[in-house]
Amino acid sequence: MFFHISMEKNMQLHPRHFGPHLRDKLVAKLMKDVEGTCSGRHGFVVAITGVDDIGKGLMREGTGFVTFPVRYQCVVFRPFKGEILEAVVTMVNKMGFFAEAGPVQIFVSNHLIPDDMEFQTGDVPNYTTSDRSVRIQKDSEVRLKIIGTRVDATEIFCIGTIKDDFLGVINDPGAAA
Amino acid sequence: MSLAAESPLQSSSSSDDFAAFLDAELDADSSNSSPNDETNDDEEIDLKEERIKRHKVEMSETIEVIESSKIADVNKEKSVLSSESTKPNLCPHPGFIKGLCLICGQMEEDDGSGVALSYIHKDLKLGSHEMNRLRGADLRNLLREKKLILVLDLDHTLLNSTRLADVTTDEDHLLKQADLLQDDPNRSLFKLGSMHMLTKLRPFVRTFLKEASPMFEMYVYTMAERCYALEMARLLDPSNIYFNSKVISQSDCTQRHQKGLDVVLGAESVVVILDDTELVWQKHKDNLIVMERYHYFASSCHQFGFNVKSLSQCKKDESDTEGALANVLNVLRRVHQMFFDPALDTDLSSRDVREMLKKVRQDVLHGCKIAFSRVFPSTVRAADQHIWRIAEQLGALCTTDVDSSVTHVVSTDTGTAKARWAVQNEKFLVNPRWVEAANYFWCRQKEDDYVV
Repeated sequence: MFFHISMEKNMQLHPRHFGPHLRDKLVAKLMKDVEGTCSGRHGFVVAITGVDDIGKGLMREGTGFVTFPVRYQCVVFRPFKGEILEAVVTMVNKMGFFAEAGPVQIFVSNHLIPDDMEFQTGDVPNYTTSDRSVRIQKDSEVRLKIIGTRVDATEIFCIGTIKDDFLGVINDPGAAA
Repeated sequence: MSLAAESPLQSSSSSDDFAAFLDAELDADSSNSSPNDETNDDEEIDLKEERIKRHKVEMSETIEVIESSKIADVNKEKSVLSSESTKPNLCPHPGFIKGLCLICGQMEEDDGSGVALSYIHKDLKLGSHEMNRLRGADLRNLLREKKLILVLDLDHTLLNSTRLADVTTDEDHLLKQADLLQDDPNRSLFKLGSMHMLTKLRPFVRTFLKEASPMFEMYVYTMAERCYALEMARLLDPSNIYFNSKVISQSDCTQRHQKGLDVVLGAESVVVILDDTELVWQKHKDNLIVMERYHYFASSCHQFGFNVKSLSQCKKDESDTEGALANVLNVLRRVHQMFFDPALDTDLSSRDVREMLKKVRQDVLHGCKIAFSRVFPSTVRAADQHIWRIAEQLGALCTTDVDSSVTHVVSTDTGTAKARWAVQNEKFLVNPRWVEAANYFWCRQKEDDYVV
């Protein structure tokens, strides 16, 4: 889920940026460096909402670089085990399907898909019930529950399930009326 | 609704828990009833009745709860799902993706077992138990849809590639042709700038794939690199219908220089393999149909040591309708028909496509009796010779000596005793290529085309 938190980072700035727009350049560099990154503790940094404080810059010995401690506010996204999320299906194969909820990729294995849904190969591979009332295919929206997460340097990966109550397809793009 | 009637229906481990739960409840209540002896009988009876009623209500509620979440198969996973947070150690951990168990999401303890299926997803690893389960489920689906599995090789089977650096001067016109035809969706010649390669698809290949697809679920299995394999799959299958998540390349092989069906999620009894090399399929020779190699480019001919001019240099190409792929398609149709023949008595799941292949092969040279002359030295064991075995596989009888029942003499020289005997007795005298041709074309070739 999304959180709005305060974080601190030490930014190094090259002397060529010193001048009247030092602060703007620092903020721009911060945004470039931090937005889109991911950490185990906070999750995925989605956007920086504001800069609280920029501390006094310290020159580094031997080089001209200056280090500023910057405190900023940002929106982060972190999936938790047990959380319920809505996601869009990106790929379906006989092992299960992959879905994406924002920056996080979730895999739902066929073990955790209800047993009455079976995999159908074809032009559009999908999982469907025997009476064809419910179908999961690419670009379907599903509600799923996170079973486990794993955070890398650049991305978060989760395992999900749709086997519990109230989980499953929300919207089927290929469904007729 | 009594417990005894319900419990046979529930064969899961949760019924054990349920029984234990009931036992615990009943014991607790029977121990509770003793202090109530002091109260008078009416009240006791009422209380007991109330308790019994409550029991029944509770029992029926729990039974309903279990029934509503009941899943058909016996599985430890059920107890995991019903009490997920309390019993993660009962999860069988069938496979891991990016180190997370597919069912319970726990991190993987590195024990090294399991087959990496990186062609499906780059971090997917499955245990052997899970692979077998998937194979069984896949088999049931396939048999229901009346499909078998076809594993296709790329190089020299469905296409021929050459590096741009190896293109000879008389093949230069092909480069121009490839550029000219850039927008033609039916073209067979492709120039891949990013990989510095020129690729020619075998004639008939698109029709072949289209015709084979309703009968077979198709995989691509090549000893080339992954990026090349994916690029070729994209050329052969632009809409990604045939080979979605089914392109296996060299990095997925579990053994060096050997292809294996262990990474294919399909039962061995329904797999037919189409490849130009027998060497890489040592473990699955019975499933293999060996194809004639497609040498379009000069570099390909040189690679295999042939000094003839290649098809591109002669500005020719394999025939579309009579070529190797068309022949093989007919064989595949026959095998498919034989497999799903409703007249056969055996159960679908016990049929084996390898038996069908053997039968079709036996028909090719059925009725021929072959003697060999100057094809292999007489000092070696004749029955071990490659050509002998091919001929026997094709249904012919092989013998070392000539007699009146011999129908063909295979020889490299017209001057040998057996060869002269054959001409005298009006038997067919053919060179060894006749046997090879029968093997590639799956039918008996005209003996006149293979005179010595």
